[in-house]
Amino acid sequence: MLRRKTAAIGLGGIGLLIFVAVAAPWIAPYEPAAQDLSNVLAPPAWDGGDWSYPLGTDALGRDVLSRMIYGARSSVLISACAMLIGATLGLLTGLVAGFFGRFVDTLIMRLGDIQLALPFILIAIVILGMMTERSPVHLIVVLGIPAWIVYARVVRARTLAEREQDYVRAAETIGARPLRRIFRYVLPQVRSVLPAIALIDLSHLVVMESTLSFLGFGLTSPHVSWGQILADGRQNMVVAPWLPVLPGIAIMLTVLCINLAVEGMRSRVEPRRRWWSTRWRRSGATRTTLDMATAASRPAVDELQAGPTPDDVLLDVRGLCVDFPTADGRVVQAVRGVSFTVGRGKILGIVGESGSGKSVTSYALLRLLSAPGRVSAGTAMFDGIDLLGVPERSMRRVRGRRIGMIFQNPVGSLNPVLTVGYQIVEAIRTNRDVDRDAAVELAEKVFRDVGFGDPPHIMKQYPFRLSGGQNQRVMIAMTMAIEPELLLADEPTTALDVTTQAQVLDQLRRVRDEHGTSIVIISHDIGLIGEIADEVVVMYAGEVCESGPTEQVLREPRHPYTQALLESVPRPEAGVTTELRSIPGELPDPTRESGGCPFALRCSSVMDLCHTHRPKPLTVGPAWSAACHLYSEDKAEVTQR
Amino acid sequence: MLLYTIRRTAQMLVVVLCVVTLVFLLLRIAAGDPARLMNAPDAPDDVIEATRERLGLDEPIYIQYLYFLRDLLGGDLGQSFQGSYSVAQVVFAALPNTAMLAAVTVLVSTVIALALGIGAALTRGSWLDRSVQVYVAFAQSIPSFWLAVVLVLVFAVQLGWLPAVDFTGPSSFVLPVATMAVALTPILIRTIRQSFIETLQQDYIRAARARGIAQRKILLVHTLKVASLPLVTLIGLQSGMILAGSYVVENIFNWPGIGKLAVDALTSRNFPMVQGAVLIAAVTFVLVNFVVDMLYTTLDPRIRLKGAS
Repeated sequence: MLRRKTAAIGLGGIGLLIFVAVAAPWIAPYEPAAQDLSNVLAPPAWDGGDWSYPLGTDALGRDVLSRMIYGARSSVLISACAMLIGATLGLLTGLVAGFFGRFVDTLIMRLGDIQLALPFILIAIVILGMMTERSPVHLIVVLGIPAWIVYARVVRARTLAEREQDYVRAAETIGARPLRRIFRYVLPQVRSVLPAIALIDLSHLVVMESTLSFLGFGLTSPHVSWGQILADGRQNMVVAPWLPVLPGIAIMLTVLCINLAVEGMRSRVEPRRRWWSTRWRRSGATRTTLDMATAASRPAVDELQAGPTPDDVLLDVRGLCVDFPTADGRVVQAVRGVSFTVGRGKILGIVGESGSGKSVTSYALLRLLSAPGRVSAGTAMFDGIDLLGVPERSMRRVRGRRIGMIFQNPVGSLNPVLTVGYQIVEAIRTNRDVDRDAAVELAEKVFRDVGFGDPPHIMKQYPFRLSGGQNQRVMIAMTMAIEPELLLADEPTTALDVTTQAQVLDQLRRVRDEHGTSIVIISHDIGLIGEIADEVVVMYAGEVCESGPTEQVLREPRHPYTQALLESVPRPEAGVTTELRSIPGELPDPTRESGGCPFALRCSSVMDLCHTHRPKPLTVGPAWSAACHLYSEDKAEVTQR
Repeated sequence: MLLYTIRRTAQMLVVVLCVVTLVFLLLRIAAGDPARLMNAPDAPDDVIEATRERLGLDEPIYIQYLYFLRDLLGGDLGQSFQGSYSVAQVVFAALPNTAMLAAVTVLVSTVIALALGIGAALTRGSWLDRSVQVYVAFAQSIPSFWLAVVLVLVFAVQLGWLPAVDFTGPSSFVLPVATMAVALTPILIRTIRQSFIETLQQDYIRAARARGIAQRKILLVHTLKVASLPLVTLIGLQSGMILAGSYVVENIFNWPGIGKLAVDALTSRNFPMVQGAVLIAAVTFVLVNFVVDMLYTTLDPRIRLKGAS
């Protein structure tokens, strides 16, 4: 909105300028060179001057207003023509280079490189400075030609990209002539980028032209230009300060209008945000209001869990909801009332397909959601600390020190311009009270623990010099060095090959066994979760659909989604004859609130009830629950209501 | 890396040769006959002919070019038309003054751009960000020569706070540097703001926060080290604009640098002086870009170590 308005102002200004330039002979009250020697250095009308010379006169008694109007004419004429020359040259060379490629391309682009490596502005000044007479044509040529390369590069890049498109290739195979291809297919593509470049070029040219005039190397008399008026005015600037000021304002407004127009073309409004603070809206009520209409005779898990957290539970998440407001005012509910607990020294697996809200859940727990994501409801108690409620300062002492995290993309989770050693030592010193030497020693020890043969060598490396598996081991080593009580591992093995995956899993197990660290491991791979986790939480579309002890859940899955997930992975113990199945359909639209079960559209056991009533988590065994109407005893009753 | 250095050095030498050739050719085309320029406009033909012979101008142009290169390699840029100075001496005396002005400008501009760009990036959409955007929009629209004149008008003529012209001490830097910084800062601020915003969205920043690293350290080490890299290249690219800016600023503030030298020489049509001043400025520009490129590759380990393993 704002941008559109500024763009309109910019374009309006440019339009006005062009009008003044074209209409100069009719709207200027005097000839630009006409002198009135009886009225030298007359002040402008607002400064005691009279209205016959609204902007006053200069040292030779020439009307400043008329000279400004004719100055606009030169400025527009020269800049526009120079721009057209540069753009035409650039367009042609760019098309030729991009379309014919090979040595033509190399030649043209090398030429461009050399030209960009030259300070062409200086050379332009000198060429013009050495001439005794300078007409608009001279300026247009000298200023216009050097800009070709800017256009040529963009056009060439677009042409190259366009050449690879199927329809252009198709045209090529049916024998369309090269020239025809250029005009039919490439030009329309290029047209969308050129206006912005041309406008930027134009604003440079306006400034260049007036700068040259100011230095005395621009248009010679009888031509008039803004820079010239300014340079003349400078001689008398003490007695007539308006003389140098007026043309400067004209140039500035011109350039400003052009820039506004460019800005308007370029971008939309950015939302207001601070990077570190995700806004926290705490909702006092835990998420028990999901769907009050669903009544079940079995006790709902929510009710069972209400009350204080037992001592053997390290992390207790209840009713966590995460929203991402979108630009168009809708809200993506990425996580919808997720509850789970992690026991001390236990490994919890969270499984679900991509987009099910697993990673968002882990980010939310450490309050690392990227803006505009926010926690809209729920609690997360970690060893007596309200993770979603404590101030940011206390949260910083939790991150790293008490809850560690490793990420899906190991290479991307380490800073590319800092050595691995710097980063692990920094992490150790931030979270443990040790001096540098002790930190280095500890880093080398944990590096050895995760299987690096030569820790000092690894410490000196940058992350991009190590493999994905090595980087992930670095991340795990950091955790081992800091010894947090809880480790959140978000798809720790996804980016790694199978052998490395097994190593990383082994190491995670060792972290738990040797340091007693509780682990939340997040994965889309239910097989992997089965291997390592004590308990499992199955997520679908931001909701927990089943949770319980891993062994039982994987042996006799209750929720149809869990069943489908298990059928979609190869299981050696089931024999080779079992057919792998994929789950038909896609995740529901996360911005839409449906009344029923999110999995209803893809479920093989779907009932009418599923489309209208949201299932609540129901106890299906010891510490085992599933959110599915199949286990609700009074389906009929609910349907009737 | 070594290979890159060799290739880049070779490329730089080619460009320097191109610059030299171009200056030689263009000046001869634009200026006409130097022999006529050297003498009074009404000098008789035989005097001009004698000058032409003395300067070797009667030789074919490629021979002249070779002489020119030979002299250049020996550090000889010819003699000034006015007075009998060696052009090389005059030019090299002026160069440090321009370099000093440029260095202070780049330093001041970088500090300002870092402060404003980072501030704006961290508070996107706030009053600070908006004010910075407005400053950028206006600053990039103000023509340097006009700003210089207005600054002189206000601070030197009307208020009398600062010297308008001539070098009288550190205060002489204020107005010229301010003028050039207003021209240079907008693009630096835009770049640093954008690059900071992009860097902050990287996974490794989130990972660093997850490790409990203090916010100040994340900004000043983890983010700045990555986000300021484009600034280095940009300053190299802008050195041409800075040189051109010195033409304007040095002339307005009477700064005894290479820009003022060139403009004075052009005005008095002192051909060898123009040639020398432009040549040295252009070669300096090429060298600065070369140094910046090499600096960039050593600053960014991703490039420095490429292919070394």
